[in-house]
Amino acid sequence: MGQISPLRWLGLSAAALSAFIVTSLPSHGEDAGNLYNTAVDIRLGQRYFERQCSRCHGFDAKGNDETGAPDLTGRLNRASSDAGIFNIIREGVPGTAMLPVDSEVPDATVWQLVSYIGSLRYDPASVELAGDADSGARLFNGAADCSSCHMIEGEGGRMGPDLSRVGENSTPDDLMTALVNPDADVDPRWWQLRVTDREGSVRQGFRMNEDSFSLRIMDDNAELWSYPKNRIANYDRIETSTMPSYDGRLTESELDDLVAYLFSLRREVQQ
Amino acid sequence: MKKITLAITCLLASWQVTAQETAQEQQFSTVITPAFTPVTWERLVDARNEPENWLMYSGTLDSQRYSLLDQVTTDNVHQLEMQWSYQIPVIDRAETVPLVVDGIMFITEAPSNVVAVDARTGREYWRYDHEMPDDLRICCGRNNRGVAILGETLFMSTLDAHLVAIDARTGNLLWDVEVAAHDAGYSKTAAPLIVKDKVVTGIAGGEFGIRGFIDAYDPETGERIWRTYAIPGPGEFGNDTWSDDSWRTGGAATWLTGSYDPDLNLIYWGTGNPGPDWNGDVRLGDNLYSDSALALNGDTGEIDWHFQFTPHDVHDYDSIQIPILADIEMDGRTVKSMLWANRNAFFYTIDRANGEFLHGKPYATQTWAEGLDPVSGRPIRVPGMAPTYEGTLVAPPIVGATNWYSPGYSQDTGLFYVTSFDGAQEFFKRDEDYEEGERFTGGGGRYLQPMDAFHSSIRAIDPTTADIVWEFPIMPRSSAGITTTAGGLVFTGSADGYFFALDAATGDELWNISLGARVHAAPMTYAIDGRQYVTIASGNVVYTFALEE
Repeated sequence: MGQISPLRWLGLSAAALSAFIVTSLPSHGEDAGNLYNTAVDIRLGQRYFERQCSRCHGFDAKGNDETGAPDLTGRLNRASSDAGIFNIIREGVPGTAMLPVDSEVPDATVWQLVSYIGSLRYDPASVELAGDADSGARLFNGAADCSSCHMIEGEGGRMGPDLSRVGENSTPDDLMTALVNPDADVDPRWWQLRVTDREGSVRQGFRMNEDSFSLRIMDDNAELWSYPKNRIANYDRIETSTMPSYDGRLTESELDDLVAYLFSLRREVQQ
Repeated sequence: MKKITLAITCLLASWQVTAQETAQEQQFSTVITPAFTPVTWERLVDARNEPENWLMYSGTLDSQRYSLLDQVTTDNVHQLEMQWSYQIPVIDRAETVPLVVDGIMFITEAPSNVVAVDARTGREYWRYDHEMPDDLRICCGRNNRGVAILGETLFMSTLDAHLVAIDARTGNLLWDVEVAAHDAGYSKTAAPLIVKDKVVTGIAGGEFGIRGFIDAYDPETGERIWRTYAIPGPGEFGNDTWSDDSWRTGGAATWLTGSYDPDLNLIYWGTGNPGPDWNGDVRLGDNLYSDSALALNGDTGEIDWHFQFTPHDVHDYDSIQIPILADIEMDGRTVKSMLWANRNAFFYTIDRANGEFLHGKPYATQTWAEGLDPVSGRPIRVPGMAPTYEGTLVAPPIVGATNWYSPGYSQDTGLFYVTSFDGAQEFFKRDEDYEEGERFTGGGGRYLQPMDAFHSSIRAIDPTTADIVWEFPIMPRSSAGITTTAGGLVFTGSADGYFFALDAATGDELWNISLGARVHAAPMTYAIDGRQYVTIASGNVVYTFALEE
């Protein structure tokens, strides 16, 4: 075998190096589309998710306040495309506990994971709704009197959750349940506290804060009251909703209209 | 062609020079700490009697976390003021308990670094950044909980499952040994324990189908002296408590720090869950010695006795809690006890000389057992509580009634203190095949209620009866450890970012400060020139407090 000239050596080394880079560096997702999105891929993605990701993101992918892992079933804050999700899984999120997936995990597996995460959401345009959103909007601001408590795009009351983007993380079924059975799922932020001070007077309001040492409530007049826990006699939590049920107050068709309107409340999707 | 060769040569040469310069800079740019008296084994045995120093993760070999410092008391604790804070540069959560030796503090950081600072000011002397591969297998964050010291050498576990020895004066690396293969799922997060002339250390990786063990190393050379597996091999007692070959991948990680009794020459160490965590079908039997307390001979590492808290666990109820050793008066006699509030929601008082179960009771909400057998202490299971494919609601949840965060004990009150959680979770089972280096958990869990709906508290337990004497409610769910002092105080933290002091006798709130980020660490206390300091990590910051001068 003849001697390899320095230039040829350099060329071979460069080729070897680039081959090394190509084979050992994780790839970067691009918007070429996800080829691994069949029902089988989604199932495999789910299996991988439950095994590798659920410790932080939860078995139901709804996130975990303790680990800071976000809910993956609604709108994602850090990615708006499959490629974006792919890149987050591959590269991690610096400064957070989200580590990159092991470089030996094949791209196909990551794409299956992307497909599974994608399957947790749906295209809102594909949802067929019985009601009419415009009629729902009129009800919201009129007969149903929702806006006296709820704010949308800066208009409305403060005695209930801001609903400007309620359609992003709620299904039509969720919204219907919230209207006809408001006690079913009350965010702890909208629980109430009934505080009895040492003189025996009682004040009740929304649970704006409850921590180990202090309480803050907002009363019916939207006034805030803060209490160190060690200066009150006692307090109770009321974990039901202050919202009345609309079951029977509105007709079924009116409820459908309201659901259609609420479901339409979302940010514009960036194309 | 020559030009290209020359250019490459120059490039290589300049790279070599730069690398040499960098190495030299690293070698000589370190700032040496002030001299301190080398920490001998005799000092470690008698650590309680030099309360100005905090010489090991749990303060003393009995892990009581009880300090004799009494300048800060129930009467003046409300006058505590922040003296300094140290910002950890790598953003992750700090689970560190610093050591203090003669005014020098050693703080570990994520992922596996250590920094020496002036304990008066928090200003840095030196730092050691551990070089880390990028294919770590870690279950639960990039944590490191602390170092051990012997002589003038620090010993630290690293996430890539190494044990390193570092010169405490300069931060220079003395040796670095691989304890186990990180790419097979092993990792290390806990502070080692010095036992006489050995560095004793455990291993993490219970979610990756590892086989747990406890090791002892020569502090001079890093040579391994003994290894005791937490899962017996073929022919050894207990191997038949694993069906088929399941012992090979059975977990039983030993991922926290143990305790030591010099009189009995026994090391006490907890073991973690059997693997896969939530699918017990593939590992029928009691699965010894998972979820157990092991008592090991202090010289040989041989198992003297064991006590298994949760045979055939299917809920991830690790028993890696730090064993508190205390001599307590029971039935007219002094009992050398081991006190243990387990992740499975039961509190146990055990005779630490022989492992005999003395008594135990639930200290937090639990639905999985009807109680403990009064003689053996073995749980009497409630049928139908194992995870299923559809989900089974069980208390406590996966994180447990307590977990890795240190409990405390006060020699003044005789009470045991634990951070407890009354939660419940749906447990799921999945079928998984073991693949080396991959997670091997066989399921998972989910909460059906918001976290705020659950109850958390600091509970004081009388170890002579296992009764709860008082409780102080906190907002869920704390992962802070507990430290007690001769000033009559219990120091701890909460998930909502408070650091606070309670009256050790009554549980009355005496002082609190909002530090703005979750407390994932245990407090420690020390003194310099007669002034007592109290230190806690919260978020990514280490805070130190003292009474105003």
